[in-house]
Parts: sequence; C-alpha cells; structure tokens
Amino acid sequence: MNQLFYALIPELILTSVACALFVFGATGIAALRRFSPWLALASLPAAAWAAAYTPVWDTPIRDSMGTLFVGGFAVYIKLITALVGILLVLVHWPTTDDADGNSCVHFGRQGPEYFGLMLLSLAGVMLVAGANDVILLFLGIELAAIPTYVMVSISRPISSAQEAAVKYFFLGAFSAALTLFGLSFLFGTTGKLGLIEIAQVLRPATGNLVQLTAWQMLAGLMVLMGLAFKMAAFPMHFYAPDVYTGAATPLTALLSYVPKAAGLVALIKVLGALFGGGNFVPPAEFVTLLWVIAVATMFVGNVLGLMQHNVKRIMACSSIAHSGYMLAGVLVAVSAGTASVRDDALEGVLFYLAAYGVMNVGVFAVLMMLPAKADPFLYEGKIPPATSAETLGEIAGSGRQHPGLGLIMAGCCFSLVGLPLTVGFFGKLFLIRPALEASMYWLVVLMVLNAAISAGYYLRIVATMFLKDPRTEAGAPEPAGQPAAELPMPLLMAGVLSVCGSLILGTLLPATTVLRNLTKEAVTFRVSAMPMQSQQEPPMVPDLPQP
Amino acid sequence: MEQMLTWLLIVPLAGAVIGMLLKGDSAPRVWALVVSVLSASLAAGLIVGFNFNDAAAVQFPVAPAFLQLDEIGFKFSLGIDSISLWLVALTAVLMPLAIGSSWESIKLRPKEFYAWMLLLQFAMLGVFCARDLLLFYVFFELTLIPMFFIIGIWGGRDRQRAAVKFFLFTFSASVLTLAGVILLGLHAGAAGGASFDINDVVRYGQSIAPAARFWVFLALLAGFAVKVPLFPLHTWLPLAHTEAPTAGSVILAGVLLKLGTYGLMRLAIPIGMPDVVPQLAGLLGALCLIGIVYGALVAWVQTDIKKLVAYSSVSHLGFCVLGLVAMNATGVQGSVFYMINHGISTGALFLMVGMIYDRYHTREIDKLSGLAKRMPWLAFFFVLFAMSSVGLPGTNGFASEFLTILGAFTSPHLGVAYGAIAAIGIVLGAVYMLHLVQSVMFGPLKTPIHAEQGDDAATPGDLNWREIAILAPLAVVVIVLGVAPNIVLKTIEAPVAKLLLLPASTVVAAPANVERVAVGVAR
Repeated sequence: MNQLFYALIPELILTSVACALFVFGATGIAALRRFSPWLALASLPAAAWAAAYTPVWDTPIRDSMGTLFVGGFAVYIKLITALVGILLVLVHWPTTDDADGNSCVHFGRQGPEYFGLMLLSLAGVMLVAGANDVILLFLGIELAAIPTYVMVSISRPISSAQEAAVKYFFLGAFSAALTLFGLSFLFGTTGKLGLIEIAQVLRPATGNLVQLTAWQMLAGLMVLMGLAFKMAAFPMHFYAPDVYTGAATPLTALLSYVPKAAGLVALIKVLGALFGGGNFVPPAEFVTLLWVIAVATMFVGNVLGLMQHNVKRIMACSSIAHSGYMLAGVLVAVSAGTASVRDDALEGVLFYLAAYGVMNVGVFAVLMMLPAKADPFLYEGKIPPATSAETLGEIAGSGRQHPGLGLIMAGCCFSLVGLPLTVGFFGKLFLIRPALEASMYWLVVLMVLNAAISAGYYLRIVATMFLKDPRTEAGAPEPAGQPAAELPMPLLMAGVLSVCGSLILGTLLPATTVLRNLTKEAVTFRVSAMPMQSQQEPPMVPDLPQP
Repeated sequence: MEQMLTWLLIVPLAGAVIGMLLKGDSAPRVWALVVSVLSASLAAGLIVGFNFNDAAAVQFPVAPAFLQLDEIGFKFSLGIDSISLWLVALTAVLMPLAIGSSWESIKLRPKEFYAWMLLLQFAMLGVFCARDLLLFYVFFELTLIPMFFIIGIWGGRDRQRAAVKFFLFTFSASVLTLAGVILLGLHAGAAGGASFDINDVVRYGQSIAPAARFWVFLALLAGFAVKVPLFPLHTWLPLAHTEAPTAGSVILAGVLLKLGTYGLMRLAIPIGMPDVVPQLAGLLGALCLIGIVYGALVAWVQTDIKKLVAYSSVSHLGFCVLGLVAMNATGVQGSVFYMINHGISTGALFLMVGMIYDRYHTREIDKLSGLAKRMPWLAFFFVLFAMSSVGLPGTNGFASEFLTILGAFTSPHLGVAYGAIAAIGIVLGAVYMLHLVQSVMFGPLKTPIHAEQGDDAATPGDLNWREIAILAPLAVVVIVLGVAPNIVLKTIEAPVAKLLLLPASTVVAAPANVERVAVGVAR
C-alpha cells in the first residue's frame, strides 16, 4: 500500500459506501432501504476519522504523477465536510414507515440512491481539497455538483423541484464549462497540469508582482466565474433563490453548503497557484475584480435578503452573503503581500467555512419541524407534498408554541448575524482581523455594514417566530399551528447539534482554540507553500497569440 | 474573596438557566427575586471588600487561564475600579426593584421573562466588570438579545417595531465599534503583540498616528453614541422606552444607557484625549447641548407620561456626555456621578409610571389629575423623584448636574457659552417636570371614567407595601446622595484622575472645593 492510498481513504470510504447503497437501491429490498441511512451516517464519522489520521502533518502526501497533494489543508476540509455531512444526513433522515422520506423530503424508493448521491457529493468536496492536478480538481468539483442536480429532481414529487433541477443543471453545466475552459487556458499557457507546477511557472523571476499574460488573466477570470456559480457569488448568484426554494428543505441545507465548499476550496487552490506563496502580489486588475465580486456579493445577498418573505429564499440570500464574507477573506489572503497576513486571512476563511456549516443547518432543521400551510390554489387546497414551513407567515408565532424550536432558530440566526457568544462572532472576528492587518479599512467597513444589514432579515425571522401572533385563518381554527405530537428525533438532533455547536464554539474558548489551531495547521501546508524547485521547464505552448 | 466577580456573574447566569426549569406560575418570580437579591448582596460585599484607598487600581481581578485566546490577545479578565464598582452597585440595586415591579404586571410567560431579565443582568454586570476590550464588547452586544425579547414580547402595543428598531439601531452602530476594537487590539500588547487589555488598548490608542486615532475614535463613538444616545442618533429611544414593559424601561434607562457613557468614558474619550476630543469637543458639546434643549422641549409637549420621562432621558444624557467631553476632573466626575443619579431617579420615575399605569391603564397626562388627593404616598414619592430628576439641591441630581455644568464652564475645550446653554436646559428640565407633577398629581381629581365606576373596592388605592418597598430604597439613596455626594464623589476622584492622566495632587483639591460649594448650597 502506498501513501496515495492512505491519502484517499476518506474518499474511498464514502464512494464505496455509495456504491453499496446503489446496489441496495437496485435490489429493492425494504430492509436494506431502511438500513441505508444508518450506513450513510456511519460512513461519515469513519471518513472523518480516516481524514484526521491521514499521516500528513509533517510532510504532505504527493504522488509521482503530481495528481494529488494532500496536506493539512485537504485534511481540514475533509474533516469538516464529513462532520457537516453528519448533520446533512440527519436532516434527510426518513421517518415514514416505508422509509421513503420524511415530512419535507420524499425520495420514494430511491432512498438508498439518494443517500449514495449525497455521499458522492461530499466525496467530491474532499477530492477537490486533495487535488493538485487541475483535471482532478475539475472532476472533484463536478463530483460534488452532479449528484446535487439529481437530488434536487428526486427530492420532491412536485413541479417546482423539477423546474429547480433543470435550471440548476443547465446553469451548472454552463459554469462547469466555463471553469474547464479557463483551466484549459491555464494548461495551454503553462504546459503544466499540476497546480504546484503551474505556480512554479508563473512565479516572477524578479520582484514580487506576479505578471500574467492576457490569456492567463482570461483563464483566471473564467475559473473565477465558474466557481462563483458554485459559491453562489455575484454575478453568478441569481439562480440561488429559485433553486434553493424549489428543492426540498433539507436539500436546501446541503445546497447552501456542499457546492459552496467545493467552489471555495477550488478557488483558494487555483488562486494559490496563480498568485499565492511567499510575498507575491497579484496584478492590480485582478485584485480589483475580486474586490468588486466580494463586495457586490455581500451587498446583493444582504439587500435581497431584506426583501424576501420566504425563509428559504432568505436563507438563499444569506448563503450568497456568506459567500461574500468568505470571498472578502480570500481577497485579503490574495492581496495581503505578506505571508503572515495571508495565512491569517486563509485561517479566517477556513474557520468561517466550518462555522457556516455548523450554524446554517439548524435553521433548516427548525423549518422542517414547523408545519406548512395548505396551499389554497394548488394541490387541491392541501399542503403540497414534502413541504416544510417556508414563508414568514407560516412560522409566525411558532416560537411561542415550541419554545425549544424557537431557541434553536434564534441561536442559529444570532450566530449567522455574528453576535457574541456564538461561533459566528469569532468567524467574523477572524475574517476582519487580517483585513485590518492588511490595512484594507474600506473592506472592513463594508463587511461590518453588511453584518448590520443582515441583522435586519435574521432578526425578522426571530421576531416573526417570537413576537408575532400565530397566524389564524379566517373562521377555521388552525390545526397546523398545533404543536406536533412528537418532534422527529433526527431533525431535533440536527437542530440541537447545530445550535449547541455554534454556542460551544462561541463561548467555550478551548473549543474555539481547537478549531482555530486546526485551521492553522491546515494553512501551514497549502499548495503554494511548497518549496520551489530549481529547474523550470519552459512552457509547452509558449507562443499563443496575444489577444 | 478573590472570586467575588466570578460569582457576581455566575449567580444571574445560573439563576436564568435554573429559572427556566422551574414549574408553576409564581415560582419564577420568587426565584428571580431571590437571585437578584443575592446578586445585590454580592455587590454589597464588593463595596465592603473594596479598598477605597487605592480606588483607581483594578481590584478583585479574575482571569481564568482556560478562557483565553492567546493568539489574538483575548482574555476573559474581570476587575473593577471604583467607577465600575458604583455602576455594578447601581445595576444590582435596580434589578430586584425592576423584578419586584413586574410582580403583578407580567402574566404572560413569566418564566421566560424572568430568565431574560437575569440574563440581561449577567450581561450588564459583565460590561462593567470586563477588563478586556473584546470581552467588554461581547457583553455590550449581549445586552441586546434579552432586551430585544423583553420589549418585543412583553411590551406595549407597538412592541414589535420598538424591539426591532432598538436592536437594529444599536447593532448597526456597534459593528463599527467592533471594527475599531479589533483594530486597536491588533498591536496593543507588549512589543506590538495582540492584546485587548483595556489599559494596553487605551495606551496604544493614545500613541498611534493622529489620523488613525481620528477614525478609531469615530468608530468607537458610533456604537456608544447610539447607545447613550447622543442627539441625532436618539430616535430609537423614545419608542423603545415607551413600548418596553415597566421593568424593561427601568433597566433600559437606568443601566443600558449607561453602557454607552461608560464606554465613552473608559475607551473613546481617553483614546481621543491627545488630539481628537479637543478637536471635536466643540461639535460633540454642541450635539450634547442640542440634545439637552431639544430633549427638554420635546418632553415638555408630550401627552404621555412615559414618553415625557423618555425624552427627559435624552436631555439628561446630554449633560452626562457634556461632562465627559469637558475632559477635566470636575466634568468627568460629575458625569460619572450623573450616570448613577440618572439611573436612580429616572429608573424610579419609570417605576412610578408603571404603578400609575397599573392603576388606571392610561398614561395620558390629560386623563389624570389630582392623584395626590387619593394617593398621598404615590404623590410623595413622585414629587421626590421628580425633584431628583430636576436636580433640586438636597437631592442627588443637584451635585452631578452642577459638576457637569461647572466642568463645561471651566473646560478649555468648551467654555462659558456651553455652560450657559446647559444651564438653560436645567431650567427647561424644571419646567417640564413641574408641568408633569402639577397636572398629574395636583389640581382637581380626575381619573379615567372606567376606574371611577363601581364601588370603592374597585377604585385603585394608594401604594401597597410591595410598591413602597420598591420605591423606599431609591428614595433613601436620593436623599443620602443628595446630602452627602462625597460618598461617591470622593471615591471616584482617583480613577478619574488616572483616566485623564492628571497628576494626583491637582485633582484632589479642585473637586473637593466644588463639592463643598455644592453641599453648601444644598444646605
């Protein structure tokens, strides 16, 4: 067994379990169908454990072909992906007798396949984290994304889910093409496939300003746009509210995290190859571009969030805004110019990614436990199948009827705002600190202003739950508003884990320190931190015409 | 003894959590009262154990080693000097009274109400005890959450809007403060390392480049000025005060506003002292004066007693900030004393407004008149606290008002004009307060019709023993601090001098004289 095998154990666990689940689904045996979520749930801690014990802390694992580069960074991403994956499996947990879904997601007989796809998607993020070769990087991104297209379409037997799936698929395919096109330019101009090798070619011989040809800039731009789609960042954010609302609620939780993580990780790696390492400074145009994208993403997400009445749409906008915060961190890392600030900024981004994964799921778990309202126009005046509470009207006053659920929602929302005693506060703190260190004061002012704007809609959710009276339909008593006899255990666990995670990481400083130290170790082994090799081969295709 | 501050914080926090587990309707309020009295006795213990000979030093330090983030310089460190001590005492005194005032009036979900109150107390005490800037900010922000729910769930008719407005106003401004706080903490430590220790931060803030200091000062000012509130930023206050339940108003006016002035005094003013505050003193002083006069004029025309008291807070806090901006020992001492006095007199007035509302279910000045005839005790306390609020010599309000105005007069940054206009504010204060007292307490008896119908048993009576027990301690404090302001003033000389970086000898003389004048007039 070589090192490569060890480096890939987490992905191997997830993909082999996924394959087993596909077989389970094909057999059609009910017992296997009921067993499949347990298997999926068990595979994730195993993957996390395998990731945590990948022997990389001293030297990153690389293979002779230059396909993989598994260092602390990859290990960290694998770890948090697997742990957040546990929460995501919990919110999808089938509670019906037939194991064909729960109150908010209906995958029918395809339960095992559904969980298999989820594991594949998570494995995709892990592959992105460990990739060095741009081809593997691209495959990882698509492995994370393609299962989600299928999941959106089978998550709910209603037309809006199909619409969302089609929209998501076509736009996703477009963005993938854009990414791939950009990566091909990168290969074409440098003659290298490995990110480390590309970085070596692109390093300036003198000075610290990285000089890119127009083709290379174009490559960077295309990759950035393609990945912006995955992250739901401006200007590729527009699909998010529609797709997130169309998908089943638990799947929305997944969509707002897994593709985003894949996109962000890939972006960090590609930008690391283009500009990272040492004290290199990217060209001013690129910094400006990133600045505009980060700031516009924050503002678009938060301002759109203020205008929504559907909580799932609000969370879609919140997801856009959080991409903006993380992009701002990436921007600081890229343009810092000094290694220490850059590392700080990257640590902040990685911390935020974990924090977002923890605090985001709780909101959806609570939504799923609240009863939906019957649709007076469609579905024969009944509640549409597999639908959770979505609109603000539907959750009005529910914090009074279910104080526990209300507190989970309030905890998660306050964490997303970034109030103290939650992990969101430290997330924002670790993002703002390096930006101030890098003297990017305007960026910081815009970031904190956005945090203030975002308080508007998160507070609206909390205020609707606690301060509004429960909705009453004219005449008829409100049966849906009655407290459910028994809250589904897996959902409750997901919500409690999410809010407790946010609070513990935000108050118990030793726990915060552990996560922070993990991010530190992660940043120590990045793509761009590799020692330079002395011989530089000339690019394979050096003479592209300049546009 | 060393762990006094730990206990001071743990008691309300644990009280809030345990209170949520209690069953029954009256258990939560009894429990909350027990917890708040326990915490008040801890505060009394602090006063007893405090070494007043070394009042400027940070006493009762607590800094558990496991609660820190070394890398960014964050430490969970607590400690108090005498300024913090008196504000802690104010908080600890007002809380049991506020809880007592909710005894009958909070019927909806009492368990949660008292849990939020205790959590609020935890946060407020934390602000005053924090010796770490980031910790200070954490507690500062934490006060928003309980207050949001207290106003939003148990408030008046327009409670939702009031709660959301309160939260968004204060939060949006204080995120700018957070940016300033983080910037200050980056290199405040020894050898340019990270530290959030308040002393380090202030020292560092005074040493950075003037341009940077200007922006840092503005960032800090943003959050604190909204909390205070300083004139153009005060619009959240009348709504929040009016809509909050009585206990909420008491705490909001009594303590939460002081978080803003405390932050200004501890951080913004000392950091801006070398150049920024002198530069901006004219502007800030003018804003204070506008607040004083405008608040008083608006209070004058209010038809709702609670709104009147709320606007009087805008006016009063103007004096408080004016004393700080004066940046001399007299002004700052007066300002610190003002924080305590305003907490007592305005807190008491809100309590009394609540008592009147409990009886007549109205707060309209037009609908009430001559209450003194029916309720002599209520009238007695009302007049007493109104006089304290006006600053009548012999009550606590006098010395502090006098000192802040004297501070403005003698300050090199402000001058005679500022003092004179502030003095007009005092006259206006007397006008609206006397207008209130005269029309509600005296004159022909007039109460809302519904309260007059039916037999005598239904007619609201005078204060009961519970209400007297709530008001009596505050009345005693009003008189004691009115006759002997030295109890507080003398002990805050040293920390104020330290704050202003004055040599110890020059300070002791001046305020002592001032005070003799103050007390002399009082007699």
